[in-house]
Amino acid sequence: MRFRISENERLKRALQEAYFSRESADTGEDRQFQIMGRVRRAGPLKTSAWFLPAFENLVWRIAPACCLLLLTLTVLFTSMDLDHGYDYPGALAAEMERPTLPELYGLEGWE
Amino acid sequence: MKDHSLGASDEDIVRQVLDGNVDVFDSLVKRHRVLVSKIVTRHVPSRDAEETIQDAFVRAYLSLPTFTGKGDFRKWLSSIAVRTCYDYWRKAYRSMEIPMSTMTEKHRHWLEEVLSGQSIESRREAGLKSEAKELLGYALGKLSAEDRMVLEIVYLEGLSVKETANLLGWSTANVKVRSFRSRRKLERLLRGMRRQGKGG
Repeated sequence: MRFRISENERLKRALQEAYFSRESADTGEDRQFQIMGRVRRAGPLKTSAWFLPAFENLVWRIAPACCLLLLTLTVLFTSMDLDHGYDYPGALAAEMERPTLPELYGLEGWE
Repeated sequence: MKDHSLGASDEDIVRQVLDGNVDVFDSLVKRHRVLVSKIVTRHVPSRDAEETIQDAFVRAYLSLPTFTGKGDFRKWLSSIAVRTCYDYWRKAYRSMEIPMSTMTEKHRHWLEEVLSGQSIESRREAGLKSEAKELLGYALGKLSAEDRMVLEIVYLEGLSVKETANLLGWSTANVKVRSFRSRRKLERLLRGMRRQGKGG
């Protein structure tokens, strides 16, 4: 197996040391004033529509899955050999019209 | 400035800010500015850190209505700070403002020394610490904003895939793929540097 440089623990530690040495915890008062200046300019927050960003976030999260599902169903339905003359919704409604008790409880064939 | 919220929890302060008391946000800045400074200065060059820290706090302020109060406020704020750094890099890459550092013989020398097993202490004595920083800057500069953030958080900070996904707001699968890809790119970069050194 080929030796991986990035898995070399010594190099990793050295790079980590260099990375964390960039860290600085400057706590200047000036920064605080500048931040608060920008916050005050932004004004008080409107909380009435707090759910909108969350809803938007949710919509974007499920959007790819919805598109994929829609595409799959489209392909599935176009490739299915459906009889256009047959009343599928009517047949389904008639089927569900009067279910018997054994059908409702899944006891068919128990006699 | 008088601290109106001495002893109040972060959640209480958030509630007061949401009720329209903007000045109380000052207490949250005071409490957490060290945390945000540390995060930002690790990810962003020092010349732009100041502006990015301000951006992170303003973004946190504007996002306060989305803070549900169920989780830890520090974690929520850390995630905002990390995402602000990520946005900084996306913007920087788009406008091509990243100064590209070049690799010299001393950087290759440093890499060879580390790989050959010279101790960190002796390297420090030799004054080669800046080489490590420059080499890291060079390698990270060659990566995309996404790969860069993932490599920094997973490989250098040692956070788990799940923690990284929470910080960046990505799926765990995306973090796994990015992490693998960025490590491979780093590998290629380091190999290339060694080859150049041996060839030249």
